[in-house]
Amino acid sequence: MLNTLLPILLFAALGLAVLGALRRVRMWRRGRPSKVNLLGGLLAMPRRYLVDLHHVVERDKYMSNTHVATAGGFVLSAALAILVHGFGLQSKILGYALLVATVIMFSGALFVFKRRLNPPARLSKGPWMRLPKSLLVFAASFFIATLPVAGILPANTGGWVMVAVLGLGVLWGVSELFFGMTWGGPMKHAFAGALHLAWHRRAERFGGGRSTGLKPIDLEDPNALLGVEKPADFTWNQLLGFDACVQCGKCEAMCPAFAAGQPLNPKKLIQDMVIGLAGGTDAKFAGSPYPGKPLGEHGGHPHQPIVNGLVDADTLWSCTTCRACVEECPMMIEHVDAIVDMRRHLTLERGATPNKGAEVLDNLIATDNPGGFNPGGRMNWAADLNLQLLSEVKTTEVLFWVGDGAFDMRNQRTLRAFVKVLKAAGVDFAVLGLEERDSGDVARRLGDEATFQQLAKRNIQTLAQYRFKRIVTCDPHSFHVLKNEYGALGGDYQVLHHSTYIAELIAASKLNLGQHKGASVTYHDPCYLGRYNGEYEAPREVLKALGIEVREMQRSGFRSRCCGGGGGAPITDIPGKQRIPDMRMDDIRETEAEVVAVGCPQCTAMLEGVVEPRPLIKDLAELVADVLIEADAPATARAAAAKREPAEVH
Amino acid sequence: MSTKVISLVSIGAHPGSGRSRRAEQDARAVELGLQLAGDNLQVVHAGDHRQEALRAYLGMGLDHLDVLEQPEGADVLEVLGNYLRDAGAQLVLTGSQAETGEGSGMLPFLLAEKLGWPLIVGLAEVESIENGTAQVLQALPRGQRRRLKVRLPLLATVDNAAPKPRQSAFGPARRGVLAARDVAIVEDELLADAELQPARPRPKRLKVIKAKSGADRMKAATAKASGGGGKVLKDVSPQEGAEAILKLLVEEGVLR
Repeated sequence: MLNTLLPILLFAALGLAVLGALRRVRMWRRGRPSKVNLLGGLLAMPRRYLVDLHHVVERDKYMSNTHVATAGGFVLSAALAILVHGFGLQSKILGYALLVATVIMFSGALFVFKRRLNPPARLSKGPWMRLPKSLLVFAASFFIATLPVAGILPANTGGWVMVAVLGLGVLWGVSELFFGMTWGGPMKHAFAGALHLAWHRRAERFGGGRSTGLKPIDLEDPNALLGVEKPADFTWNQLLGFDACVQCGKCEAMCPAFAAGQPLNPKKLIQDMVIGLAGGTDAKFAGSPYPGKPLGEHGGHPHQPIVNGLVDADTLWSCTTCRACVEECPMMIEHVDAIVDMRRHLTLERGATPNKGAEVLDNLIATDNPGGFNPGGRMNWAADLNLQLLSEVKTTEVLFWVGDGAFDMRNQRTLRAFVKVLKAAGVDFAVLGLEERDSGDVARRLGDEATFQQLAKRNIQTLAQYRFKRIVTCDPHSFHVLKNEYGALGGDYQVLHHSTYIAELIAASKLNLGQHKGASVTYHDPCYLGRYNGEYEAPREVLKALGIEVREMQRSGFRSRCCGGGGGAPITDIPGKQRIPDMRMDDIRETEAEVVAVGCPQCTAMLEGVVEPRPLIKDLAELVADVLIEADAPATARAAAAKREPAEVH
Repeated sequence: MSTKVISLVSIGAHPGSGRSRRAEQDARAVELGLQLAGDNLQVVHAGDHRQEALRAYLGMGLDHLDVLEQPEGADVLEVLGNYLRDAGAQLVLTGSQAETGEGSGMLPFLLAEKLGWPLIVGLAEVESIENGTAQVLQALPRGQRRRLKVRLPLLATVDNAAPKPRQSAFGPARRGVLAARDVAIVEDELLADAELQPARPRPKRLKVIKAKSGADRMKAATAKASGGGGKVLKDVSPQEGAEAILKLLVEEGVLR
């Protein structure tokens, strides 16, 4: 009996799965076109799945072992079951192989089951609670049904009852695992995930690469969409990427905005996009809602505007673009790209950048700096430093990119400290002076692609007039934009963060350094230096060279928590239950360090905004400048002056 | 029946960088116009339609902006007056003073005189428009408001008391049309003969704060402008009135 029932069930489920797959593909194709190497991607997919994705999953050993056993066992079981039970190839060897595969799958599924007994808040419940049971039933049913094939049990053991039980078990199993995969069940992640990896919009990320720069809009084309209004405005592979989400909630657990009680949850956002591409409401979402926004009040459709239907604008503006979600995502989904795409529509088409957003963008347009300061004051911080101007020397070894921190009195201390280090090392460097403009970072993260490109093009034009080997900057945001985002507009430079450059100077013994005294130090990794550019080591090397043993925070390196200052978040200022910098300061206090070493003007400003008493915030350049041993006498006099505590300025 | 609302706009300049932009007050005139008339708002500039800064007004959500082609230094009074009369304008809004050019702040007055319309200075809010009469709030110093009933058509200038202008978005700014119109050109004889010199900053009167406590300071900052030195003149002849004003102006150092 089973010999007729099983093929029917298997092929019916497979047939439905194919139909579901076609339906799903049609949904993705509602998106805009995107240039992807279709065949090459498919060929590269197994490697991406087994190597790149596995590297991310492996950060959680329990889950990676569980997943390898369950998924590997399942793929093997499914393939063999189709051969053995579908096509009736009832050889003993295949039977034994299928038995082994189902045992592996079953043991994996047991661990899935165990984790689901008391699941952490980040995991989605609902149908996901059913999945381990479905996996167990699938594996068990095929195990028992295969025993006769392997010759362990005589055929027709158990008679009709057995056939009925196994039939039901297989029905449940294949429903969940075969056609559930393409009809929107939890197993959808395997189907959509595999294709998402094949046709990922940032293929450079695989094989250990890094791709973090935002993609430009072609503003020369008057018909180009200015951002994403409706789900169908995403590219088709972005829609596919949303569909790959397994709702593991690793993004949610890392998101600083979610933790601060701001109305953003990256997992929910991706699920909302899935609702958008398929149509419906979020009533059935089985995970944590956006803080302060109950479920069931939002819904959408591929051709309906997203904002104020599917997602509220404040959700999009809560993001600090810290990329913690992208870093954690085992499916390598690009949350930040999606958020910026939707912000672009709000800013470029609707003129709806909240709070100080519009003012900052106007300032950038009119004065090339977000504060609206008179551009003529850009070099005031260095009035007494006799810096070489690139417009005069025309060529230099190192171009020191000052950044908009030039207008900020706190950051001027960092800049002056770095100049002191450069001079002590005898570096041939120059600055652009009044020719420098904002890098465009904030404008771009606020969705104002037009202003970004305007600033970028002018900067590129300026830079093209001069000759220099490298650009060094104390601002990771400028660093990222110059290094990763100017390329698409025709500006390719070798750019270094000052921590990397100081580490180089130290390695080349160009600096005569003493030892840092006293206070214990922790280091806060800036998002745009760490996750965006993979520089975790150089700052630590510099600190080590100063004789500092860094008291690492629990969340450091690639898991560093954002200071709350990125992505224009301090400008759009979406309220939450607590402030992100306060949470970061709590992380810092846990280490009991007296000083936090930072490498970013945003981080400095955000962390110094935390009320005292709190650890001191010092830029790496300041820490290095503090222990510089300078040979000539006038220099030491200046060093002593630099050590004075700065007066408070109102 | 909707009232025909027209906003007059000029090219602004950022006070720090001097770069062209939408003029702050004119943008408020557009904002107020959009709130009153929505898509029916008509916006006019007299000047060069190739000025990119005009697009910043389009970015507020206008699909087109009429530009009465005028060379630099032309007297725009005549063409604006004719345009407003021909368009059947009922309510004309404009900033109080341009950020570029002569920037004398005289245009609204001359225009109102030419058209024979009433002029409201410092319009803050239009409360209602009924039966050819507008009920409006006029801004006075220190946040005070005066309710006025004025018959249409009328001309009103706005300053910083009017609603903040909405953000200018790139998309509509790029799509919007700057519709050039050929109109007569009148030479500004006064300007042609006049000699221009940079303005001298007016000396600021020193304000001595005697307040000891925060509450006192608050009181000083919010008190009505009722100085002790004022004098109410009633039933005086024009001659006496003029003399009194002249005397005050000399005392204040406005006239020497």
